[in-house]
Amino acid sequence: MIEIDAVTVRFGGLVALNEVSARLTAPVAGIIGPNGAGKTTLMNVVSGFITAKSGRVLVEGQDFLRLAPHRRAQGGLRRSFQKEQIADDLTVLENVLVQTDWSLTNARAKRAEAMEMLAVVGLADRAHKIGAALSGFERRLTDVARCMAGRPRLIMFDEPAGGLSVEETRQLGDLVLQIHGLTGAQTVIIDHDVELISRICAETLVLDFGRRIAFGPTAEVLADPKVKAAYLGTEEGMQ
Amino acid sequence: MDRSLFRLTASGASGLSFAALCFVFLPMLAGSYWLSIFTSAAIFAMAISGVAFMYARLGMVSLTQVGLMGLGGWVTLRLNHLWDLPFEVNMVLAALATMICGWVLALPALRMRGLYLALVTLMAAGGLEILFATYQFPNGGTGFWGVKIGSTAPFRRPALAQSPEAYLRYCIAIATLGFLFIEAHRRLFPGRAWALIRRSEAAAMAAGVNVTLYKTWAFGIAGAIAGAAGALLAGSLGLLDDGTFRSSESIMLFALAVVGGARFWLGAVIAAVLFRVLPGLLNTWGVDTDLAFVIFGAGLLHALITAPNGIAGQVHDLVAKVRGKRHD
Repeated sequence: MIEIDAVTVRFGGLVALNEVSARLTAPVAGIIGPNGAGKTTLMNVVSGFITAKSGRVLVEGQDFLRLAPHRRAQGGLRRSFQKEQIADDLTVLENVLVQTDWSLTNARAKRAEAMEMLAVVGLADRAHKIGAALSGFERRLTDVARCMAGRPRLIMFDEPAGGLSVEETRQLGDLVLQIHGLTGAQTVIIDHDVELISRICAETLVLDFGRRIAFGPTAEVLADPKVKAAYLGTEEGMQ
Repeated sequence: MDRSLFRLTASGASGLSFAALCFVFLPMLAGSYWLSIFTSAAIFAMAISGVAFMYARLGMVSLTQVGLMGLGGWVTLRLNHLWDLPFEVNMVLAALATMICGWVLALPALRMRGLYLALVTLMAAGGLEILFATYQFPNGGTGFWGVKIGSTAPFRRPALAQSPEAYLRYCIAIATLGFLFIEAHRRLFPGRAWALIRRSEAAAMAAGVNVTLYKTWAFGIAGAIAGAAGALLAGSLGLLDDGTFRSSESIMLFALAVVGGARFWLGAVIAAVLFRVLPGLLNTWGVDTDLAFVIFGAGLLHALITAPNGIAGQVHDLVAKVRGKRHD
Protein backbone atom coordinates (compact mmCIF):
# COMPACT_ATOMS: atom_id res chain seq x y z
CA MET A 1 0.00 0.00 0.00
CA ILE A 2 1.21 3.48 -0.83
CA GLU A 3 -0.02 6.36 1.26
CA ILE A 4 0.45 9.87 -0.11
CA ASP A 5 -0.23 12.34 2.64
CA ALA A 6 -0.67 16.06 1.89
CA VAL A 7 2.26 16.26 -0.52
CA THR A 8 3.03 19.79 -1.69
CA VAL A 9 5.66 20.73 -4.27
CA ARG A 10 6.49 24.28 -5.30
CA PHE A 11 8.74 25.43 -8.15
CA GLY A 12 9.23 29.08 -7.20
CA GLY A 13 5.78 30.63 -7.38
CA LEU A 14 4.23 27.64 -9.14
CA VAL A 15 2.46 25.09 -7.00
CA ALA A 16 3.04 21.84 -8.88
CA LEU A 17 1.34 19.67 -6.25
CA ASN A 18 -1.05 21.13 -3.72
CA GLU A 19 -1.56 18.96 -0.65
CA VAL A 20 -2.25 15.83 -2.67
CA SER A 21 -3.38 12.88 -0.59
CA ALA A 22 -4.41 9.37 -1.59
CA ARG A 23 -4.14 5.87 -0.23
CA LEU A 24 -3.50 3.50 -3.12
CA THR A 25 -4.31 -0.06 -2.11
CA ALA A 26 -5.17 -1.87 -5.34
CA PRO A 27 -2.55 -4.19 -6.89
CA VAL A 28 -2.62 -1.96 -9.97
CA ALA A 29 -3.52 1.70 -9.51
CA GLY A 30 -3.51 4.52 -12.01
CA ILE A 31 -2.71 8.21 -11.96
CA ILE A 32 -4.21 10.25 -14.74
CA GLY A 33 -4.71 13.89 -15.58
CA PRO A 34 -4.15 16.37 -18.37
CA ASN A 35 -0.64 17.53 -19.33
CA GLY A 36 0.91 19.56 -16.53
CA ALA A 37 -1.42 18.11 -13.90
CA GLY A 38 1.50 17.00 -11.70
CA LYS A 39 1.46 13.24 -12.36
CA THR A 40 5.16 12.87 -13.14
CA THR A 41 6.01 15.37 -10.40
CA LEU A 42 4.23 13.11 -7.91
CA MET A 43 6.16 10.12 -9.24
CA ASN A 44 9.40 12.08 -8.96
CA VAL A 45 8.57 12.94 -5.35
CA VAL A 46 7.96 9.29 -4.51
CA SER A 47 11.15 8.17 -6.25
CA GLY A 48 13.24 10.96 -4.75
CA PHE A 49 14.11 13.15 -7.72
CA ILE A 50 12.07 16.08 -6.43
CA THR A 51 11.91 17.14 -2.81
CA ALA A 52 8.44 17.88 -1.50
CA LYS A 53 7.96 21.09 0.46
CA SER A 54 5.72 19.21 2.85
CA GLY A 55 3.86 15.95 3.19
CA ARG A 56 4.70 12.28 3.54
CA VAL A 57 4.84 9.22 1.33
CA LEU A 58 4.56 5.88 3.07
CA VAL A 59 5.19 2.63 1.23
CA GLU A 60 3.91 -0.23 3.36
CA GLY A 61 4.31 2.04 6.37
CA GLN A 62 7.89 3.11 5.62
CA ASP A 63 8.48 6.83 5.12
CA PHE A 64 10.29 6.95 1.77
CA LEU A 65 10.86 10.70 1.64
CA ARG A 66 13.70 10.38 4.15
CA LEU A 67 15.75 8.13 1.86
CA ALA A 68 18.13 8.94 -1.01
CA PRO A 69 16.77 7.84 -4.43
CA HIS A 70 19.07 4.81 -4.72
CA ARG A 71 18.15 3.75 -1.17
CA ARG A 72 14.47 3.87 -2.13
CA ALA A 73 15.25 1.55 -5.05
CA GLN A 74 17.14 -0.77 -2.75
CA GLY A 75 14.13 -0.65 -0.42
CA GLY A 76 11.88 -2.04 -3.13
CA LEU A 77 10.81 1.01 -5.13
CA ARG A 78 10.99 0.68 -8.89
CA ARG A 79 10.16 3.14 -11.60
CA SER A 80 10.37 3.52 -15.33
CA PHE A 81 10.62 6.80 -17.21
CA GLN A 82 8.62 8.22 -20.09
CA LYS A 83 11.56 7.41 -22.33
CA GLU A 84 12.86 3.93 -21.58
CA GLN A 85 16.33 3.95 -20.04
CA ILE A 86 18.17 1.00 -21.51
CA ALA A 87 21.95 1.19 -21.74
CA ASP A 88 22.84 0.60 -25.39
CA ASP A 89 26.18 -1.03 -24.65
CA LEU A 90 24.82 -3.58 -22.18
CA THR A 91 23.00 -6.76 -23.08
CA VAL A 92 19.34 -7.25 -22.17
CA LEU A 93 20.40 -9.50 -19.27
CA GLU A 94 22.96 -6.96 -18.02
CA ASN A 95 20.34 -4.21 -18.17
CA VAL A 96 18.21 -6.28 -15.79
CA LEU A 97 21.12 -7.36 -13.58
CA VAL A 98 21.95 -3.71 -12.81
CA GLN A 99 18.80 -3.59 -10.70
CA THR A 100 20.09 -6.23 -8.27
CA ASP A 101 23.84 -5.61 -8.44
CA TRP A 102 23.78 -3.70 -5.14
CA SER A 103 22.35 -6.70 -3.30
CA LEU A 104 24.60 -9.23 -1.54
CA THR A 105 22.55 -12.15 -2.87
CA ASN A 106 24.44 -14.92 -4.63
CA ALA A 107 25.38 -13.90 -8.19
CA ARG A 108 23.95 -17.09 -9.66
CA ALA A 109 20.62 -16.48 -7.92
CA LYS A 110 20.52 -12.91 -9.23
CA ARG A 111 21.23 -14.12 -12.74
CA ALA A 112 18.54 -16.80 -12.45
CA GLU A 113 16.03 -14.23 -11.23
CA ALA A 114 16.91 -11.85 -14.08
CA MET A 115 16.44 -14.67 -16.60
CA GLU A 116 13.11 -15.57 -14.97
CA MET A 117 11.88 -11.98 -15.36
CA LEU A 118 13.07 -11.90 -18.95
CA ALA A 119 11.10 -15.10 -19.57
CA VAL A 120 8.01 -13.43 -18.10
CA VAL A 121 8.29 -10.50 -20.51
CA GLY A 122 9.17 -12.83 -23.40
CA LEU A 123 12.79 -11.78 -23.88
CA ALA A 124 14.60 -14.85 -22.54
CA ASP A 125 15.75 -15.79 -26.03
CA ARG A 126 17.17 -12.28 -26.53
CA ALA A 127 18.93 -12.08 -23.15
CA HIS A 128 22.35 -11.69 -24.74
CA LYS A 129 21.29 -9.20 -27.40
CA ILE A 130 22.93 -5.82 -27.05
CA GLY A 131 20.68 -2.92 -25.98
CA ALA A 132 21.40 -0.89 -29.12
CA ALA A 133 19.95 -3.67 -31.27
CA LEU A 134 16.56 -3.77 -29.54
CA SER A 135 13.29 -2.45 -30.95
CA GLY A 136 11.33 0.20 -29.03
CA PHE A 137 8.94 -2.40 -27.60
CA GLU A 138 11.78 -4.75 -26.64
CA ARG A 139 13.45 -1.88 -24.83
CA ARG A 140 10.22 -1.18 -22.95
CA LEU A 141 9.88 -4.87 -22.04
CA THR A 142 13.48 -4.90 -20.78
CA ASP A 143 12.57 -1.92 -18.62
CA VAL A 144 9.59 -3.83 -17.23
CA ALA A 145 11.77 -6.90 -16.52
CA ARG A 146 14.27 -4.67 -14.70
CA CYS A 147 11.49 -3.20 -12.57
CA MET A 148 10.31 -6.70 -11.64
CA ALA A 149 13.75 -7.91 -10.50
CA GLY A 150 14.99 -7.83 -6.91
CA ARG A 151 11.79 -8.25 -4.90
CA PRO A 152 10.08 -4.95 -5.63
CA ARG A 153 7.41 -3.57 -3.32
CA LEU A 154 6.15 -0.75 -5.48
CA ILE A 155 6.61 -0.36 -9.24
CA MET A 156 5.75 2.92 -10.92
CA PHE A 157 5.45 3.19 -14.69
CA ASP A 158 5.46 6.64 -16.25
CA GLU A 159 3.54 6.52 -19.53
CA PRO A 160 4.84 3.06 -20.48
CA ALA A 161 2.48 2.79 -23.46
CA GLY A 162 3.77 5.96 -25.09
CA GLY A 163 4.72 5.21 -28.70
CA LEU A 164 3.45 1.62 -28.60
CA SER A 165 0.97 0.12 -31.05
CA VAL A 166 -2.49 -1.05 -29.93
CA GLU A 167 -1.33 -4.68 -29.83
CA GLU A 168 1.86 -3.82 -27.93
CA THR A 169 -0.17 -1.76 -25.45
CA ARG A 170 -2.47 -4.73 -24.92
CA GLN A 171 0.53 -7.01 -24.28
CA LEU A 172 2.01 -4.49 -21.88
CA GLY A 173 -1.30 -4.24 -20.02
CA ASP A 174 -1.46 -8.04 -19.66
CA LEU A 175 2.09 -8.01 -18.34
CA VAL A 176 1.35 -5.31 -15.75
CA LEU A 177 -1.64 -7.34 -14.54
CA GLN A 178 0.70 -10.29 -13.84
CA ILE A 179 3.18 -8.31 -11.75
CA HIS A 180 1.38 -8.51 -8.41
CA GLY A 181 0.91 -12.26 -8.67
CA LEU A 182 4.52 -12.83 -9.70
CA THR A 183 6.35 -10.45 -7.37
CA GLY A 184 3.83 -9.30 -4.79
CA ALA A 185 4.53 -5.70 -5.77
CA GLN A 186 1.93 -3.01 -6.14
CA THR A 187 1.99 -1.19 -9.47
CA VAL A 188 1.17 2.45 -10.09
CA ILE A 189 0.84 3.51 -13.68
CA ILE A 190 0.63 6.94 -15.26
CA ASP A 191 -0.76 7.04 -18.76
CA HIS A 192 -2.93 9.07 -21.09
CA ASP A 193 -4.42 5.92 -22.56
CA VAL A 194 -7.74 5.84 -20.70
CA GLU A 195 -8.61 2.50 -22.24
CA LEU A 196 -5.45 0.95 -20.78
CA ILE A 197 -6.06 2.56 -17.40
CA SER A 198 -9.69 1.43 -17.27
CA ARG A 199 -8.68 -2.12 -18.23
CA ILE A 200 -5.87 -2.71 -15.75
CA CYS A 201 -6.28 -0.25 -12.87
CA ALA A 202 -8.73 -1.07 -10.08
CA GLU A 203 -8.42 2.40 -8.61
CA THR A 204 -7.31 5.70 -10.07
CA LEU A 205 -6.16 9.07 -8.81
CA VAL A 206 -6.91 12.04 -11.03
CA LEU A 207 -4.85 15.21 -10.80
CA ASP A 208 -5.42 18.58 -12.42
CA PHE A 209 -3.32 21.71 -11.88
CA GLY A 210 -1.54 19.96 -9.01
CA ARG A 211 -4.75 19.14 -7.14
CA ARG A 212 -6.53 15.87 -6.56
CA ILE A 213 -9.85 16.13 -8.32
CA ALA A 214 -10.96 12.51 -8.00
CA PHE A 215 -9.88 9.24 -6.47
CA GLY A 216 -11.55 5.86 -6.22
CA PRO A 217 -12.57 2.86 -8.33
CA THR A 218 -11.50 3.56 -11.90
CA ALA A 219 -14.95 3.18 -13.49
CA GLU A 220 -16.48 5.66 -11.03
CA VAL A 221 -13.60 8.08 -11.40
CA LEU A 222 -13.79 8.07 -15.20
CA ALA A 223 -17.53 8.73 -15.02
CA ASP A 224 -17.00 11.71 -12.71
CA PRO A 225 -18.09 14.95 -14.46
CA LYS A 226 -15.09 16.80 -12.95
CA VAL A 227 -12.70 14.32 -14.57
CA LYS A 228 -14.45 14.64 -17.91
CA ALA A 229 -14.28 18.38 -17.57
CA ALA A 230 -10.57 18.31 -16.81
CA TYR A 231 -9.90 16.25 -19.92
CA LEU A 232 -12.42 17.77 -22.30
CA GLY A 233 -12.65 21.30 -20.90
CA THR A 234 -16.45 21.49 -20.61
CA GLU A 235 -18.21 24.51 -19.18
CA GLU A 236 -18.43 22.79 -15.79
CA GLY A 237 -14.69 22.49 -15.77
CA MET A 238 -14.27 26.15 -16.55
CA GLN A 239 -16.34 27.20 -13.54
CA MET B 1 26.73 -12.03 -26.67
CA ASP B 2 28.15 -13.42 -23.46
CA ARG B 3 30.13 -11.00 -21.35
CA SER B 4 31.20 -13.31 -18.56
CA LEU B 5 34.45 -12.28 -16.96
CA PHE B 6 36.82 -14.71 -18.63
CA ARG B 7 35.27 -14.93 -22.08
CA LEU B 8 37.84 -14.07 -24.72
CA THR B 9 36.35 -11.76 -27.33
CA ALA B 10 37.86 -11.22 -30.78
CA SER B 11 38.96 -7.75 -29.71
CA GLY B 12 40.45 -9.12 -26.49
CA ALA B 13 42.30 -11.88 -28.35
CA SER B 14 43.76 -9.40 -30.82
CA GLY B 15 44.79 -7.10 -27.94
CA LEU B 16 46.51 -9.90 -26.04
CA SER B 17 48.20 -11.11 -29.24
CA PHE B 18 49.40 -7.59 -29.95
CA ALA B 19 50.78 -7.29 -26.40
CA ALA B 20 52.49 -10.68 -26.71
CA LEU B 21 54.08 -9.72 -30.04
CA CYS B 22 55.31 -6.43 -28.60
CA PHE B 23 56.57 -8.25 -25.51
CA VAL B 24 58.62 -10.71 -27.54
CA PHE B 25 59.79 -8.71 -30.55
CA LEU B 26 60.05 -5.02 -29.65
CA PRO B 27 62.98 -5.44 -27.21
CA MET B 28 64.73 -7.71 -29.71
CA LEU B 29 64.41 -5.30 -32.62
CA ALA B 30 64.84 -1.89 -31.01
CA GLY B 31 68.09 -0.08 -30.34
CA SER B 32 68.65 1.93 -27.17
CA TYR B 33 66.93 5.07 -28.60
CA TRP B 34 63.82 3.15 -29.63
CA LEU B 35 63.83 1.06 -26.46
CA SER B 36 63.45 4.26 -24.49
CA ILE B 37 60.68 5.52 -26.80
CA PHE B 38 58.74 2.24 -26.80
CA THR B 39 59.03 2.03 -23.00
CA SER B 40 57.62 5.52 -22.71
CA ALA B 41 54.85 4.66 -25.22
CA ALA B 42 53.85 1.53 -23.26
CA ILE B 43 53.70 3.58 -20.05
CA PHE B 44 51.62 6.34 -21.63
CA ALA B 45 49.31 3.77 -23.29
CA MET B 46 48.51 2.61 -19.78
CA ALA B 47 47.91 6.15 -18.53
CA ILE B 48 45.73 6.90 -21.58
CA SER B 49 43.65 3.77 -20.89
CA GLY B 50 42.61 5.38 -17.59
CA VAL B 51 41.52 8.69 -19.07
CA ALA B 52 39.87 6.94 -22.04
CA PHE B 53 37.93 4.62 -19.76
CA MET B 54 36.54 7.58 -17.80
CA TYR B 55 35.43 9.27 -21.01
CA ALA B 56 34.06 6.19 -22.75
CA ARG B 57 32.25 4.63 -19.79
CA LEU B 58 31.04 7.67 -17.88
CA GLY B 59 31.39 10.55 -20.30
CA MET B 60 33.65 12.33 -17.79
CA VAL B 61 36.60 14.37 -19.00
CA SER B 62 39.63 14.25 -16.72
CA LEU B 63 42.53 16.52 -17.59
CA THR B 64 44.65 15.57 -14.58
CA GLN B 65 46.02 12.26 -15.78
CA VAL B 66 49.57 13.43 -16.49
CA GLY B 67 49.61 15.37 -13.20
CA LEU B 68 48.60 12.20 -11.36
CA MET B 69 51.36 10.34 -13.22
CA GLY B 70 53.74 12.93 -11.84
CA LEU B 71 52.38 12.38 -8.36
CA GLY B 72 52.81 8.61 -8.75
CA GLY B 73 56.36 9.18 -9.94
CA TRP B 74 57.04 11.52 -7.01
CA VAL B 75 55.81 8.96 -4.46
CA THR B 76 57.85 6.19 -6.12
CA LEU B 77 61.04 8.25 -6.15
CA ARG B 78 60.51 9.39 -2.58
CA LEU B 79 59.91 5.84 -1.33
CA ASN B 80 62.84 4.52 -3.38
CA HIS B 81 65.24 6.94 -1.73
CA LEU B 82 63.65 6.59 1.71
CA TRP B 83 63.42 2.82 2.22
CA ASP B 84 64.73 -0.33 0.61
CA LEU B 85 61.34 -1.54 -0.52
CA PRO B 86 61.07 -3.48 -3.80
CA PHE B 87 59.98 -1.45 -6.85
CA GLU B 88 56.65 -3.28 -6.98
CA VAL B 89 55.77 -2.24 -3.43
CA ASN B 90 56.64 1.36 -4.23
CA MET B 91 54.54 1.18 -7.39
CA VAL B 92 51.51 -0.19 -5.51
CA LEU B 93 51.89 2.49 -2.82
CA ALA B 94 52.17 5.17 -5.52
CA ALA B 95 49.02 3.80 -7.19
CA LEU B 96 47.20 3.87 -3.86
CA ALA B 97 48.30 7.47 -3.26
CA THR B 98 47.04 8.59 -6.67
CA MET B 99 43.86 6.56 -6.24
CA ILE B 100 43.11 8.53 -3.07
CA CYS B 101 44.00 11.70 -4.95
CA GLY B 102 41.53 10.57 -7.65
CA TRP B 103 38.84 10.20 -5.00
CA VAL B 104 39.51 13.73 -3.75
CA LEU B 105 39.32 14.93 -7.34
CA ALA B 106 35.98 13.14 -7.66
CA LEU B 107 34.39 15.43 -5.07
CA PRO B 108 33.68 18.24 -7.54
CA ALA B 109 32.85 15.65 -10.20
CA LEU B 110 29.80 14.64 -8.21
CA ARG B 111 28.24 18.02 -8.86
CA MET B 112 29.80 18.96 -12.20
CA ARG B 113 29.92 17.52 -15.65
CA GLY B 114 31.05 18.42 -19.12
CA LEU B 115 33.16 21.52 -19.56
CA TYR B 116 33.00 22.51 -15.89
CA LEU B 117 34.34 19.15 -14.74
CA ALA B 118 37.11 19.35 -17.36
CA LEU B 119 38.06 22.80 -16.09
CA VAL B 120 38.18 21.66 -12.46
CA THR B 121 40.45 18.73 -13.34
CA LEU B 122 42.61 21.04 -15.44
CA MET B 123 42.97 23.38 -12.47
CA ALA B 124 44.06 20.41 -10.34
CA ALA B 125 46.62 19.53 -13.02
CA GLY B 126 47.81 23.16 -12.97
CA GLY B 127 48.19 22.97 -9.19
CA LEU B 128 50.27 19.80 -9.43
CA GLU B 129 52.39 21.39 -12.17
CA ILE B 130 53.22 24.29 -9.85
CA LEU B 131 54.07 21.89 -7.02
CA PHE B 132 56.40 19.88 -9.25
CA ALA B 133 58.07 23.01 -10.62
CA THR B 134 58.53 24.47 -7.14
CA TYR B 135 59.70 21.45 -5.21
CA GLN B 136 61.10 19.25 -8.03
CA PHE B 137 61.26 15.45 -7.80
CA PRO B 138 63.09 13.52 -5.06
CA ASN B 139 66.62 12.52 -6.04
CA GLY B 140 68.01 11.15 -2.79
CA GLY B 141 68.10 14.33 -0.69
CA THR B 142 66.91 14.67 2.88
CA GLY B 143 63.74 16.18 4.31
CA PHE B 144 60.18 15.74 3.12
CA TRP B 145 60.85 16.77 -0.46
CA GLY B 146 64.01 14.68 -0.73
CA VAL B 147 65.77 16.96 -3.19
CA LYS B 148 69.50 17.57 -3.17
CA ILE B 149 71.83 19.48 -5.41
CA GLY B 150 74.37 17.52 -7.40
CA SER B 151 74.39 13.87 -8.41
CA THR B 152 71.25 11.77 -8.10
CA ALA B 153 71.11 8.76 -5.78
CA PRO B 154 70.69 5.42 -7.62
CA PHE B 155 67.21 4.13 -8.41
CA ARG B 156 66.35 0.48 -7.83
CA ARG B 157 64.66 -0.97 -10.87
CA PRO B 158 62.49 -4.10 -10.57
CA ALA B 159 64.54 -7.21 -9.89
CA LEU B 160 62.95 -8.78 -12.96
CA ALA B 161 63.85 -5.88 -15.25
CA GLN B 162 67.36 -4.62 -14.80
CA SER B 163 68.21 -4.12 -18.48
CA PRO B 164 66.41 -1.67 -20.81
CA GLU B 165 65.05 -4.61 -22.86
CA ALA B 166 63.69 -6.35 -19.76
CA TYR B 167 62.25 -3.07 -18.51
CA LEU B 168 60.35 -2.55 -21.77
CA ARG B 169 58.93 -6.06 -21.40
CA TYR B 170 58.07 -5.27 -17.78
CA CYS B 171 56.23 -2.09 -18.80
CA ILE B 172 54.31 -3.92 -21.55
CA ALA B 173 53.27 -6.59 -19.03
CA ILE B 174 52.14 -4.02 -16.43
CA ALA B 175 50.32 -1.96 -19.07
CA THR B 176 48.52 -5.13 -20.25
CA LEU B 177 47.51 -5.85 -16.65
CA GLY B 178 46.20 -2.28 -16.44
CA PHE B 179 44.07 -2.80 -19.55
CA LEU B 180 42.78 -6.13 -18.16
CA PHE B 181 42.00 -4.47 -14.81
CA ILE B 182 39.81 -1.91 -16.55
CA GLU B 183 38.19 -4.53 -18.78
CA ALA B 184 37.38 -6.71 -15.76
CA HIS B 185 35.61 -3.75 -14.19
CA ARG B 186 33.72 -3.13 -17.40
CA ARG B 187 32.45 -6.71 -17.49
CA LEU B 188 31.34 -6.82 -13.86
CA PHE B 189 28.83 -4.86 -11.79
CA PRO B 190 30.79 -1.56 -11.82
CA GLY B 191 30.73 -1.63 -15.63
CA ARG B 192 26.98 -2.17 -15.62
CA ALA B 193 26.49 0.67 -13.16
CA TRP B 194 28.71 3.00 -15.23
CA ALA B 195 26.84 2.13 -18.41
CA LEU B 196 23.54 3.05 -16.80
CA ILE B 197 24.99 6.22 -15.25
CA ARG B 198 26.19 7.24 -18.69
CA ARG B 199 22.73 6.56 -20.09
CA SER B 200 20.99 8.55 -17.33
CA GLU B 201 21.95 9.30 -13.74
CA ALA B 202 18.27 9.33 -12.77
CA ALA B 203 17.75 5.88 -14.30
CA ALA B 204 20.84 4.62 -12.49
CA MET B 205 19.57 5.92 -9.15
CA ALA B 206 16.16 4.42 -9.86
CA ALA B 207 17.94 1.08 -10.35
CA GLY B 208 19.57 1.34 -6.92
CA VAL B 209 22.96 2.46 -8.25
CA ASN B 210 24.86 4.67 -5.83
CA VAL B 211 25.98 7.22 -8.43
CA THR B 212 28.34 9.01 -6.02
CA LEU B 213 30.12 5.79 -5.13
CA TYR B 214 30.54 4.61 -8.71
CA LYS B 215 31.76 7.96 -10.03
CA THR B 216 34.28 8.12 -7.18
CA TRP B 217 35.28 4.55 -7.96
CA ALA B 218 35.98 5.46 -11.59
CA PHE B 219 38.14 8.41 -10.58
CA GLY B 220 40.01 6.13 -8.18
CA ILE B 221 40.73 3.58 -10.90
CA ALA B 222 41.94 6.21 -13.36
CA GLY B 223 44.07 7.70 -10.58
CA ALA B 224 45.59 4.35 -9.62
CA ILE B 225 46.40 3.58 -13.26
CA ALA B 226 48.05 7.00 -13.62
CA GLY B 227 50.03 6.46 -10.41
CA ALA B 228 51.32 3.09 -11.57
CA ALA B 229 52.25 4.63 -14.95
CA GLY B 230 54.10 7.42 -13.13
CA ALA B 231 55.98 4.81 -11.08
CA LEU B 232 57.00 3.01 -14.28
CA LEU B 233 58.15 6.29 -15.78
CA ALA B 234 60.25 6.97 -12.70
CA GLY B 235 61.69 3.46 -13.00
CA SER B 236 62.49 4.01 -16.66
CA LEU B 237 64.61 7.10 -16.09
CA GLY B 238 65.58 6.86 -12.44
CA LEU B 239 64.66 10.52 -12.08
CA LEU B 240 61.87 12.77 -13.25
CA ASP B 241 61.68 16.27 -14.62
CA ASP B 242 58.81 18.65 -13.89
CA GLY B 243 58.59 19.55 -17.60
CA THR B 244 57.15 16.08 -18.30
CA PHE B 245 54.06 16.75 -16.20
CA ARG B 246 52.74 20.04 -17.48
CA SER B 247 48.96 20.41 -17.49
CA SER B 248 49.09 20.96 -21.26
CA GLU B 249 50.35 17.36 -21.55
CA SER B 250 47.14 16.17 -19.87
CA ILE B 251 45.08 18.04 -22.45
CA MET B 252 47.18 16.50 -25.20
CA LEU B 253 46.75 13.04 -23.68
CA PHE B 254 42.98 13.40 -23.56
CA ALA B 255 42.78 14.80 -27.10
CA LEU B 256 44.86 11.89 -28.40
CA ALA B 257 42.68 9.42 -26.50
CA VAL B 258 39.73 10.84 -28.49
CA VAL B 259 41.70 10.69 -31.73
CA GLY B 260 42.73 7.09 -31.05
CA GLY B 261 39.27 5.97 -29.90
CA ALA B 262 38.42 5.99 -26.20
CA ARG B 263 36.25 2.86 -26.32
CA PHE B 264 38.94 0.52 -27.64
CA TRP B 265 42.29 -0.82 -26.40
CA LEU B 266 43.67 -0.03 -29.84
CA GLY B 267 42.68 3.61 -29.33
CA ALA B 268 44.98 3.91 -26.31
CA VAL B 269 47.79 2.26 -28.27
CA ILE B 270 47.29 4.61 -31.25
CA ALA B 271 47.22 7.59 -28.89
CA ALA B 272 50.44 6.47 -27.20
CA VAL B 273 52.12 5.92 -30.58
CA LEU B 274 51.10 9.42 -31.68
CA PHE B 275 52.20 10.88 -28.34
CA ARG B 276 55.60 9.22 -28.08
CA VAL B 277 56.59 7.28 -31.19
CA LEU B 278 55.64 9.87 -33.81
CA PRO B 279 57.87 12.63 -32.37
CA GLY B 280 60.66 10.03 -32.15
CA LEU B 281 60.19 9.18 -35.81
CA LEU B 282 60.18 12.85 -36.85
CA ASN B 283 63.35 13.35 -34.84
CA THR B 284 64.99 10.39 -36.58
CA TRP B 285 64.04 11.81 -39.95
CA GLY B 286 65.50 15.18 -39.02
CA VAL B 287 62.10 16.89 -39.12
CA ASP B 288 61.07 19.40 -36.46
CA THR B 289 59.15 17.40 -33.80
CA ASP B 290 56.67 20.28 -33.47
CA LEU B 291 55.20 18.97 -36.72
CA ALA B 292 53.62 16.30 -34.49
CA PHE B 293 51.29 18.98 -33.09
CA VAL B 294 50.03 19.73 -36.60
CA ILE B 295 49.38 16.02 -37.12
CA PHE B 296 47.63 15.81 -33.73
CA GLY B 297 45.41 18.74 -34.69
CA ALA B 298 44.52 17.15 -38.01
CA GLY B 299 43.80 13.88 -36.22
CA LEU B 300 41.54 15.65 -33.74
CA LEU B 301 39.62 17.37 -36.54
CA HIS B 302 39.28 14.02 -38.28
CA ALA B 303 37.92 12.43 -35.10
CA LEU B 304 35.49 15.26 -34.38
CA ILE B 305 34.15 15.47 -37.92
CA THR B 306 34.17 11.94 -39.28
CA ALA B 307 35.15 9.46 -36.58
CA PRO B 308 33.35 9.89 -33.23
CA ASN B 309 34.82 6.59 -32.06
CA GLY B 310 38.31 7.57 -33.18
CA ILE B 311 40.69 5.76 -35.49
CA ALA B 312 40.24 2.52 -33.53
CA GLY B 313 36.47 2.81 -34.04
CA GLN B 314 37.01 3.09 -37.77
CA VAL B 315 39.29 0.05 -37.71
CA HIS B 316 36.69 -1.82 -35.67
CA ASP B 317 33.93 -0.92 -38.16
CA LEU B 318 36.14 -1.94 -41.07
CA VAL B 319 36.90 -5.33 -39.52
CA ALA B 320 33.18 -5.86 -38.80
CA LYS B 321 32.37 -4.97 -42.41
CA VAL B 322 34.95 -7.40 -43.80
CA ARG B 323 33.69 -10.14 -41.48
CA GLY B 324 30.11 -9.42 -42.53
CA LYS B 325 31.09 -9.75 -46.19
CA ARG B 326 32.83 -13.04 -45.48
CA HIS B 327 29.71 -14.40 -43.82
CA ASP B 328 27.50 -13.32 -46.75
